[in-house]
Amino acid sequence: MVSPRVIRNLKKQFRNSLLPKLGLLLVVVVILVAVFAPLVAPHDPTAQNLNQTELPPLGFSKTVNVTSAEVVDGEIKTVSEQTTVDAKLSHPLGTDGLGRDMLSRVIYGARTSLLVGILGTILAVLVGVPVGLVAGYSGGTVDDALMRFADVSLAFPSLVLAVALIGLWGRATVAIPDPFVAAGLASGMPSSTTLPITVVIVVGLVNWVWFARVARGEALSLRQEEYVKAASALGASDTRIIGRHVLPNAITPIIVLGTVQIAAIILLESSLSFLGFSGTTLSWGFDISQGQDYVSSGQWWIATMPGIAIMLSVIGINLVGDWLRDALDPDIEGEGGT
Amino acid sequence: MSLGRLAVKRGLQGVGVIWGVITVVFVLRFITPGSVINAVAPLDASQETRQAIAADLGLDQPIYVQYVQYLADLVQGDMGYSYVKGLEVTRMVFQRVPATVELAVAATIVAIVLSIPLGVLSATRRNSPVDYGATLFSLGGISTPNFWLGIMLILVLAVQFDVFQTSGRGATSVAVVASVVGPEPFLGTLLEWLSYITLPAIALGTYFMALITRLTRSGMLEELGKSYVTAARAKGAPESLVRYKHALRNTLIPVITVLGLQLGTLIGGAVITEAVFAWPGLGTLVIQSINLRDWPALQGSLIVIGTAFVVVNIAVDMVYGYLDPRVVYD
Repeated sequence: MVSPRVIRNLKKQFRNSLLPKLGLLLVVVVILVAVFAPLVAPHDPTAQNLNQTELPPLGFSKTVNVTSAEVVDGEIKTVSEQTTVDAKLSHPLGTDGLGRDMLSRVIYGARTSLLVGILGTILAVLVGVPVGLVAGYSGGTVDDALMRFADVSLAFPSLVLAVALIGLWGRATVAIPDPFVAAGLASGMPSSTTLPITVVIVVGLVNWVWFARVARGEALSLRQEEYVKAASALGASDTRIIGRHVLPNAITPIIVLGTVQIAAIILLESSLSFLGFSGTTLSWGFDISQGQDYVSSGQWWIATMPGIAIMLSVIGINLVGDWLRDALDPDIEGEGGT
Repeated sequence: MSLGRLAVKRGLQGVGVIWGVITVVFVLRFITPGSVINAVAPLDASQETRQAIAADLGLDQPIYVQYVQYLADLVQGDMGYSYVKGLEVTRMVFQRVPATVELAVAATIVAIVLSIPLGVLSATRRNSPVDYGATLFSLGGISTPNFWLGIMLILVLAVQFDVFQTSGRGATSVAVVASVVGPEPFLGTLLEWLSYITLPAIALGTYFMALITRLTRSGMLEELGKSYVTAARAKGAPESLVRYKHALRNTLIPVITVLGLQLGTLIGGAVITEAVFAWPGLGTLVIQSINLRDWPALQGSLIVIGTAFVVVNIAVDMVYGYLDPRVVYD
C-alpha cells in the first residue's frame, strides 16, 4: 500500500530536484494535448492541401526552382528561376508532402502513442500480475512452468515478436468516436480516432512477462511474512490471501515498472508504425517513415518534428519513473526492454 | 559449484529454452489465420494442385507428425526451403548472420568505449558540469527511438558531408582483415567499411551507451560509499587503484548482467536500424519473410535469433561467475 512515508518521500524528492518537476510538466502537457487534440490542433491533421506542400517551419525558409515556359518569337523558351518560400504562421511546424499541417499531426500522434502505451500496459498488467502472483505464491510446478515460459518468451526480442505477430495476424483497427466532435465543439476535425487494436494486444502480450516476473518475486518474498502465514492459519482462502494481503504489498514495484513500460511501449509503437506494422496513419512513427523520403531533398522537418515529440514524451515518462522509483523503493528490477 | 559444472547445467537449461523457442515458432503457424498453401499456390490453382502442394510440403500430415519431422530436420541443420525463393533456408539465414553480428558488435563497441569512462567520470565528479552533461545525455539516449536517430544522423552528417554512405553495406569486416595481407589496399578497404558502418552503429549503439552510462554512474556511486572502499583508502591505497581496480570492477558485474538481458533489445534494434540503412542482415530478412508469408524463412530467422539470445546469456552467466566468485547458483 502507499504509506505516508512514501508520500513524504515523493514530496521531498519533488521539492529537492528539478528533474521530477520537468518530467511531470512534460507528461501533463502530453496528456492534455492528447486528450484535447481536436481543440488544440489548428487544422484537420488529415486534410491535404496540394497548394501548400512542404512548407518549412517558422523561422526557416526554403528555395525552390520554378520553371516556366513561354513562347518567344515562335520558339519555346524555358525560364528557370529561384524563389524563396517562407514559413506561414498558420503552419508553425510546416507541412508535409501532401500539405498536411505538421503541428496538427504531431498533436494527434500523441493520442495514438498514449492510447497504445496506456492500454498496452494495462493489458500486460492484467495478464502478468495475476499469473506472477499465483506462481510466486503457490510455488512448485506452476512456478517452474511460468519461469520456463518466461525464459522462452524473453528469448525473442519484443520488436521482432511484435512485427511477426502483427504481420501474420493483420493490422486491425477500431474507430473510437471523438467526444469533442460529437458534441459539436470541434467542427472540421476527424470524427473518430483510429486505435490500432492488434498493436495494443500484441504489445500487451509481448510485455506481460516483465510484470509476471516482478509480481512473482514479490509474492515469493511475501509468502514468508508472518501476517500471510497468520492469515493462512486462520483459514483464509488462497484467493483471499493473494487479493487482500499479497497484491496490496506488491503494488509499489508494479507501479514503477508500469511507468517504465508505458515509455517502452510508446517507443515500440513508434517502431512498429515506422516499419508499417500499425494500421493507423496518424502516428509519430508513421510520419517519420514518410519524412525519411524527404531527408535527402532538404525537407528535414517532416521526419524531425514527430521524433522530437516522441523524445520529449518518453523523457517525461522516464523522469517520472525515476522519481517514483527513487521515492518508493531503491532496488527494483526496472529496466524493461523495448 | 565449479565453473565447469555450472557450464554443463546452464547448457542443459539452454537446450530446454531453445526447444521452447522452436516449439513457439512452430505453433505460430497454426495460430495464424489463412492457409499456408495460399502463400505458395497460384490464385487460380485447382483443388488437385493445392492438395499436391500440401502433400509435397508435408502439410497434409497431422500436426504432431509435422512437428516431429520439423525437429528431426532442424537437428540435422535443415530448415527447409524458402517458399518464395526456393533456396535453402539454412543458407539464406546464415548468409545474413554476419552482417547483423557485425552491426551489433560495432554498436556494442561504440556503446562501451564511451559509456564506461563517462559513467565513472560522472560518479567521481558528482554534481559537476560533466555529471550534469552525462545525466542529460543518458536521459536523452534512452528516450530516443534509434530509427529516428539514424535518420537524423543521415540528415546532419551524410547529407552535409559526403563521407558517409546511408544505404547498404560496403566492404565487410572480413574483407578489411584480409586486406592487411591480401592485394586490396588496406586503408581504402578500411575507409569503405567505416563509411558504411559508422552511422548505423552509432544509431544502434546510442541507447546502450546511455543505458551503460546510467548503470555505471549509479553503480560507482553505490560502490564508492561501501566500507571496503573506505578501508582501502584508509590503508593508503592510491585513489586511482581504489576507483578503477576495486570499485569499477564491482560496478561492472551488474552492468554485464543487464547487457545480457538487453541483447534482445540490441537484436530488435538491429532489425529496425537495418530497415533505415538498408543493411542486408537478419532483420531485413524477417520483415521480408513476414510480408511475403515465407514461413520457412521466418521460422528459421526467429529460431536463430532466439538461440543466439540464449547462448549469449549463458556466456554472460559464465563471465559473471568468473568475475564474482561469491555468486551462488541454485
